[in-house]
Amino acid sequence: MDSRLQSIVLDWIPSNSKVVDFGCGDGTLLRILTEQKSVTGYGVENDPEKINACIINGVSVIQQDIDAGIQNYKGMDFDFAVMASSIQCLRKPRDAMKNILNVANECVITLPNFGNWELRLGILNGKMPSSAQLPAKWYETKNLHLCTIADFEELCSDESFVIKEKVYLNRRGSSSWLANTFPNLFAAQAVYLIG
Amino acid sequence: MKTVTEKISFGDSLTLESGQVLSSFELMTETYGELNSKKTNAVLVCHAFSGNHHAAGRRDGEPKSGWWDEIIGDGKTIDTSKFFVVSLNNIGGCNGSTGPTTVASESGQPYGANFPEVTVSDWVETQKLVADHFGISCWEMVAGGSLGGMQALQWAISYPERIKKAAIIAASAKISTQNIALNEVAREIIKKDEHFHNGDYLVKGESPNKGLKAARMLGHITYLSESNMRKRFGRKLQDPENKIDADVNYEVENYLQYKGEQFSKTFDANSYILMTKAMDSFDPAKDFDNDLVKCLKRIQAKLLIASFDSDWLFPKEYGLDIQMSAIKAGIDSSYIELDGDYGHDSFLFYSDQYASALKNFLNSNG
Repeated sequence: MDSRLQSIVLDWIPSNSKVVDFGCGDGTLLRILTEQKSVTGYGVENDPEKINACIINGVSVIQQDIDAGIQNYKGMDFDFAVMASSIQCLRKPRDAMKNILNVANECVITLPNFGNWELRLGILNGKMPSSAQLPAKWYETKNLHLCTIADFEELCSDESFVIKEKVYLNRRGSSSWLANTFPNLFAAQAVYLIG
Repeated sequence: MKTVTEKISFGDSLTLESGQVLSSFELMTETYGELNSKKTNAVLVCHAFSGNHHAAGRRDGEPKSGWWDEIIGDGKTIDTSKFFVVSLNNIGGCNGSTGPTTVASESGQPYGANFPEVTVSDWVETQKLVADHFGISCWEMVAGGSLGGMQALQWAISYPERIKKAAIIAASAKISTQNIALNEVAREIIKKDEHFHNGDYLVKGESPNKGLKAARMLGHITYLSESNMRKRFGRKLQDPENKIDADVNYEVENYLQYKGEQFSKTFDANSYILMTKAMDSFDPAKDFDNDLVKCLKRIQAKLLIASFDSDWLFPKEYGLDIQMSAIKAGIDSSYIELDGDYGHDSFLFYSDQYASALKNFLNSNG
């Protein structure tokens, strides 16, 4: 997770909250949240190497498949759930979103925008596109359900997921007039606070 | 690796969880490595059901190394060049610590079946006295597999301020119904041996070896996975020259016969019964309105809970249960699922994933 994303999440997550990070990677975000916001944090990860990195980082981690695991975290009083760049990797993203909101009061979701102009150009060229956010080849990608910002916000509106905050980031990971004005075309990534 | 084997005598009486009292007792201990001057590098390893104080290294003339030799040693997962590792034979055992084979001062006879019931909490109490003996105010880690993992969990609950990390491996917060059932079959087999004499076999100069052997054979099957037995023995026929018994057909039979036989020569039947009872009764939540979450809230230590996918005796769901309760309790706890080839016994053996998790946990900042 890049530093811009980290600072957004740090802004949104209040001190001393209880946080679960689905797809926590090496646990960096949770470590920073613990150090700077005194959160009680748990990561969910299924990659043994990343789990090891979490243990080295001193982060509490649970080895579990996110698709199968989210509903197990109901009733655990989480204030916050984080799903950073993994929603599109899940088998049923809509159900996962519902489950996450059952698990925590609020969640942070980051989304690679498949509507970004660079990716559209790739498609126009007749090839599966790749970008900094979506680097893997089509035969290696873990992404099952890629969508555009417009698609995702439509889902939120259909399912009454309330978008409390959102930040659009361009390819360089910063906010810009273009990304904010025409997010579906110029944002490479969107970050949502959903409640 | 500096190794010291020492029998420590405790003169004060010990009141057990059952209310019964041991007027004095001894613990057989073994330590590896050296305690630093601030006494902050101590690790306690707790043995499983039939283990003992001899956890690492190999003594002259011994057929095999200590039970956790793949994990404990200089440069190993629990690095004895850095940590001072304490291992001991629990009370009720039969490897030097006070147990059913010990002669009771009151009667001048071996305790035998009269040895009081002991629990995991009782073991933790005696281990605490060992910590005091060495001047260790806080363990860097308490670790164990199976029944040893239960002791690590109990430590974190009983003495929150005296333990920084607990590695709870192939264990559970209480054992399964199936596990109690298997333990009862084992006990029944032992008790039905004609030489058992209601547990008073020692005074008669006898031993229920046949029963003990059969119980261990059953137990041994439960410690291995189906796939491990298949890979290791398949349906290979036993070579006739090395048959332990004329009736044996397959290698696996011979193996179980051999293992059972060896075990029955070195283990005590009353200890077997007592240890299985301690395992059955382990349920730390019972003192907290049967609420494991409430119980775990006491914990200040960091937990690492590890389960093995091929373990059907302590299925991984039981490890995950502790983890989920730990999250509800809001305590620092991680859960990992490991590939283990050996079923329940996987916790005894080195594997890259297992060792690096345990090592990183031990070396991470408390």
